Amino acid sequence: MDSAPTISTQGLSRRFGDLVAVDGVDLQVAPGQFFGFLGPNGAGKSTTIKMLTGLLAPSSGRIEILGLDLTAHPVEVKRQIGVVPEGMALFGRLTGAEFLSFAGRMYGLERETAAKRATELLEFMQLADQPKKLVTDYSHGMQKKLALAAAVIHGPKVLFLDEPFEGVDAIAAGTLKSMLQGMIARGATIFLTSHVLEIVERLCSHVAIIHQGRLVAQGSLEELRAGVQAKTSAGSGDGSPASGEKLTLEQIFLSIVGGTRRAEQELSWLG
Amino acid sequence: MLLSVHRRGQLSAIANLRWRMFVNGLRTKRGKMELVSRIIVTLAFAVGGLGGFSAAAGFAYWFVSHGKAEMLAVLLWPVLFFWQVFPVMATAFTNNPDSSELLRFPLAYRSYFLIRLAYGFFDPASALGSVGLLGILLGVTVARPLLFPWALVVIVTFALFNLVLMQTVFAWLERWLAQRRTREILGVLFILVMLSFQLIGPMVERLQKKPRPELTKAVEIAAQVQAVLPPGLAADAMAQASHGEYFVGFTSLLFLGALTTAVGYLLHLRLRAQFRGENLSEAGARPVVEQTQALQVGWTVPGFSQAVAAVFEKEVRYLARSGPMLLTLIMPIFMLLVFRLGPMNPMRHSSFLTRAPDMAFPGAAAYALLVLTNLVYNSFGGDGGGIQFFYASPVHFRQIVLGKNLTHGAILVANTALAWIAVTFFYGAPALAVSVATLAGLLFAAPLNFTAGNLLSIYAPKKRDFATFGRQNVSQTTVLVSLGVQIVTVGVGAAAFMIGRLYHNLWISAFAFLLLSAISFPLYIMVLRRLDGIALERREALIGELCRA
Repeated sequence: MDSAPTISTQGLSRRFGDLVAVDGVDLQVAPGQFFGFLGPNGAGKSTTIKMLTGLLAPSSGRIEILGLDLTAHPVEVKRQIGVVPEGMALFGRLTGAEFLSFAGRMYGLERETAAKRATELLEFMQLADQPKKLVTDYSHGMQKKLALAAAVIHGPKVLFLDEPFEGVDAIAAGTLKSMLQGMIARGATIFLTSHVLEIVERLCSHVAIIHQGRLVAQGSLEELRAGVQAKTSAGSGDGSPASGEKLTLEQIFLSIVGGTRRAEQELSWLG
Repeated sequence: MLLSVHRRGQLSAIANLRWRMFVNGLRTKRGKMELVSRIIVTLAFAVGGLGGFSAAAGFAYWFVSHGKAEMLAVLLWPVLFFWQVFPVMATAFTNNPDSSELLRFPLAYRSYFLIRLAYGFFDPASALGSVGLLGILLGVTVARPLLFPWALVVIVTFALFNLVLMQTVFAWLERWLAQRRTREILGVLFILVMLSFQLIGPMVERLQKKPRPELTKAVEIAAQVQAVLPPGLAADAMAQASHGEYFVGFTSLLFLGALTTAVGYLLHLRLRAQFRGENLSEAGARPVVEQTQALQVGWTVPGFSQAVAAVFEKEVRYLARSGPMLLTLIMPIFMLLVFRLGPMNPMRHSSFLTRAPDMAFPGAAAYALLVLTNLVYNSFGGDGGGIQFFYASPVHFRQIVLGKNLTHGAILVANTALAWIAVTFFYGAPALAVSVATLAGLLFAAPLNFTAGNLLSIYAPKKRDFATFGRQNVSQTTVLVSLGVQIVTVGVGAAAFMIGRLYHNLWISAFAFLLLSAISFPLYIMVLRRLDGIALERREALIGELCRA
């Protein structure tokens, strides 16, 4: 990489009793990358993103965000990042404007600035028409949009998003995507996990795949595609596309994590 | 056969599920601590239950052996009240798992109904109520052994009525609590009803001092009305049998059975709706009205950082939207009113505050601190998933806790000021020494409570909904520790005031409190400074508990 990575981990591990959820992950995310972090269920995606954002302590390993050690400088790091965690981290009994204003001030914005940005964000997210409505009364999609608004209100350099498109309709997803692309255009770095591979393929320039707690692939989409094509052409070719056809991210993903199932594994008793 | 093999299998699976949840809960240290606390709390209840059992048995024996079996209603009414009111009042001890989660399985309606009743039967209120009824049964049987089979049938029917009524009340409360606005309205009404019960005693005391014929008539009417209500019917069923009038007794039992069926039908209406997939949406509670967004600038708190001020504002907004919490503001004044009404009778010596009106302000201030227990000892409970925001934000945890304590302190100050005004109105202005001693007492007690509360908020958190009263889980560890701290605080406070009164100089008490606050305040600061580390160490447990669905 040409420049110092925005996100860097060395030997990042997390154990829950005997279970090793994340095992020696070495991640490198360069500035300005739209980075997709993929993996099957239970692979360790959410555990990794929680460790990267300070919501979970690593068992071992080192995390650096924007050149700062997260363990040594948690507050300085958190000031420069935005997070939409798995549970969205909302305060249900505030209105959208109150919550965004609160979030802005917690990230160090002046009262007036926080209020102004809150209003702008609510307008942008199309949440401004019901200012008295409490967050708890918002629909799931509205809550996602609000959580994203809270994560960006202070203009973070790095944004961490855990499944941002889960349960979001096409219109809301479009709003979120345009905002995220705008941030990338202005030089921010975005790290997201998602199960929707089509969205990751369309948005992300770089991808890492975690499987059973270990990082099994990392690089640009082209690099991963080339790697998988080389492997499949050398092997049996099972599941590979016709010669000359571009591999989709889904095919790359399945090829790397081994998503095919043998016929004898099928549940014969299932109607 | 009452239940098919398939249905028995389902019920057995559900029983196993509850058992596994209990066993799995013991895997963590916190789970084990909860179990130990629960055992201690249960033992305390068992002692109370044993007392109730003995009293019920003794009185029932006396009533029946003296030919006054109809007086058994005097025992049955308290059992009914306890059974119905306790689960709602003492949410710390209620155990009402949400049975509607089981509806995703192919459960027959009858099984669903039975499970709901079974869950209710394991509630502490049901257990203690049943123990009381067993006491009555024992007393009746010892007095008249031949009455045992009949009394058993009556007592079981009465127990069934209570069980069904409790579930019906909960089911309908759930319905009304499903929407935020009705939930809050109901909550406010509920507390007012509960408070009004506390006024009955002083009112009756007043009325008793002035015998009036209309009062006697009212009592007679009340006696007739109670006779056709479940406790009266159960008592009459046993009384008639004790006089050899089994047929008349059977009629009363039949009425009791009919009432149980009627209440059961009301329960059926709710459960049937749930079973059919009723969905009470929060969003549908109010119509969507187009409104414009005005710029809302946050609050400032002089002397405190932006973050502390933001947390303070957020806490105040939360509390302002919680009917039950708002009512805590008037509770100390209401209690003063109750105490003031009590002595307004010729027997003035019966009231402590009449003999020692200078203790009204300290008492009200102590109560003002006591009503904050729920907030202070579980200060992150209402945040739910928002706790992740706190951890993700670039703010030291001690600042967040300080913002919360600032809110608690502000409520305490407001409550104390209101209490001072109320005391002045009811008892006359408190002397300067009393006022200073009380404020000094708060300077000692509040930091002590905040210190313990901050630690328990992190070590034993429980998710809670600010808009509901019942069906809230409270950590048993918190119940035990907060009780201990309150006993220590009240004990020390009472001792300091006693010494002051002994020497007829409450400035001594004020001085003692200031000395004590010189210990409690630094302790508070010391613990507050360490909260960053403690919160970091406990983040998984805290997030895990509060983000639980």
